[in-house]
Amino acid sequence: MYALPAVGVVLVFIGYPFASLIYHAFTNWSGFGPVGWVGVRNFVNVYHDPLFRLSLRNNAIFALMVPVQVIVPLAIAYLIYCRVPGWRLFRSTFFLPAVYSTVVLGLLARNIFSVTGPFNGLLGLMGLKFLEKNWLLYPPWSIPTILLIVIWANFGYNVIIYLGGMSALPVEMIEAARLDGSRFVRTLARVIAPNLKNSMELVLVTSTITAFAYMFTYIYVITNGGPGFDTYVVEMLVYNDAFVDRALGYASAIGLLLIVVTSTIGFFQIRMLTGRGRERVTQ
Amino acid sequence: MRQRRRKSRDEDRTDSQAPLRNVREVGERDDDAGAADFRRPLSSQRLFWRRIGRWGVVSGLGVIACTTVFPLFFMLDNAFRTQMGWYHSEIGLPTASGAAAFSGAWVDGDVGLFFRNSAIVAAGSVSLALVLAALAGYSFGRLRWRGRWSTYVFLLLWMAVPPLFLMVPIYVEMVRLGLLNSYASVILLYAAINVPFNTYLMTAYVRLLPEEVLEAARVDGAGVHGRFVRVVIPLSLPALATLCIFDFLYVWNEFLFALLLLSNNNVKTLTVGVLEMTGSRFVTNYPVLMAALVIASVPVIAVYLFFQKYLVRAIVAGAVK
Repeated sequence: MYALPAVGVVLVFIGYPFASLIYHAFTNWSGFGPVGWVGVRNFVNVYHDPLFRLSLRNNAIFALMVPVQVIVPLAIAYLIYCRVPGWRLFRSTFFLPAVYSTVVLGLLARNIFSVTGPFNGLLGLMGLKFLEKNWLLYPPWSIPTILLIVIWANFGYNVIIYLGGMSALPVEMIEAARLDGSRFVRTLARVIAPNLKNSMELVLVTSTITAFAYMFTYIYVITNGGPGFDTYVVEMLVYNDAFVDRALGYASAIGLLLIVVTSTIGFFQIRMLTGRGRERVTQ
Repeated sequence: MRQRRRKSRDEDRTDSQAPLRNVREVGERDDDAGAADFRRPLSSQRLFWRRIGRWGVVSGLGVIACTTVFPLFFMLDNAFRTQMGWYHSEIGLPTASGAAAFSGAWVDGDVGLFFRNSAIVAAGSVSLALVLAALAGYSFGRLRWRGRWSTYVFLLLWMAVPPLFLMVPIYVEMVRLGLLNSYASVILLYAAINVPFNTYLMTAYVRLLPEEVLEAARVDGAGVHGRFVRVVIPLSLPALATLCIFDFLYVWNEFLFALLLLSNNNVKTLTVGVLEMTGSRFVTNYPVLMAALVIASVPVIAVYLFFQKYLVRAIVAGAVK
């Protein structure tokens, strides 16, 4: 009975929309007027939609951040764990990018990477003036620049996850490895990483989901999909199909497809969270 | 006895000192055990390179740390400049004295209004999510009823659905409920998005509360409700504080649903309001925009700086358990 309000709110505001999404993915819904059943036609159209392919390809490019997000924060977390000089400062500041609002970061990025912005100024100072360009609107560079911003914005979160995992490791184990003459990289790869499998799995899952489902705000604020459709991602496609073109059924179909993909990945995360809890709840 | 003392001494040392600096000390003890065959004394040259590498790594981390603070510096720097100063160069010393840009943003740019809206939404949504999660956590963690495990898993499953892809049906549902352009729409929605994770954390926490305390309250005649109000809630305050910070950061920074559901200036939150200051209505006044960004960031940065410990706890609890 105590759980009822929580379950109720989630059912009404997440569960019902989810059911509605599944139903409307098979219709030609436009928001008003009668709703017609069109079977799998939406999905066939999605498959042949060049913009969908382009967007999904861009999401896949953003997924290139996954290996970086898994490995670099692990190394940084280990350095902090080893108490390099200034580790307290690093531990506090590295999480800051995750605290700024994405909108604030996006607006700042637009200025920092603009033609007259400080990033080009820095390049000029280093004698690399020939590299100066509008990083976010110059096609071959716009996606890598956004990718860099997203990686930078999220790495602190992963550092914290890894630090949490490391604090649970027995200190003797790491010291033993060091005694055997193991150097930094070896210790990291042979001792730390295998014992942090859970944390690494979690980071893997969350960064993959980020690349496919949480890019909207970055793209919307920084480039709005441009130049042209160069930085379009599937979330932009859902948004524009639904709220600009009023093709709500079609947008639902894309949404459903992506939910199937991301929740399959996310399912493993939930299984990890609940897996060991079972005995304790049902004791 | 002797062994025990030695162990506690070891623990003291690892707590207070860095494992890295321990190596030699612990190593000496292990020499007796004959495990030192692998260790050769470092030549002075290798020691030199190792030191260079070490400082290289530290300065690398220092550069990253600078980039994380730079946005804050950039915003503040430009908020204290004039529009002309901005056109001259985007970075440099402040050219305006005083906080003209801040008052411009707060009054003329409606940022004061957006700030109020964000505060109302955050307060409403966070408190709703916490109440729901505390109730559910007590129920799943302490009470016994049929189907509680399956209900628990069912609730947690919604964490795997990215709410962003539900934007179409959520928008339509809010229109039908007549909640468009009302605080209630986002308050309820954000609470629903946060409840599964919050419930997970609360359940884990409530389950670990000492049984004796609850038993004592039962003996004193406290019923199911009495134990919840007088024992579980006071003992769970640390977990509730953690979740409070965690949810606050999410709600304050959320953008997509605020954009969809709140289009009227009277209810618009900061993230959407600030973005529209760069719109096509008039030429962007950068110092004013930067002042608005500072105002939007101050609450989250302050919360992070003061309650860092709690926030880290929420993230780690989600990862390690």
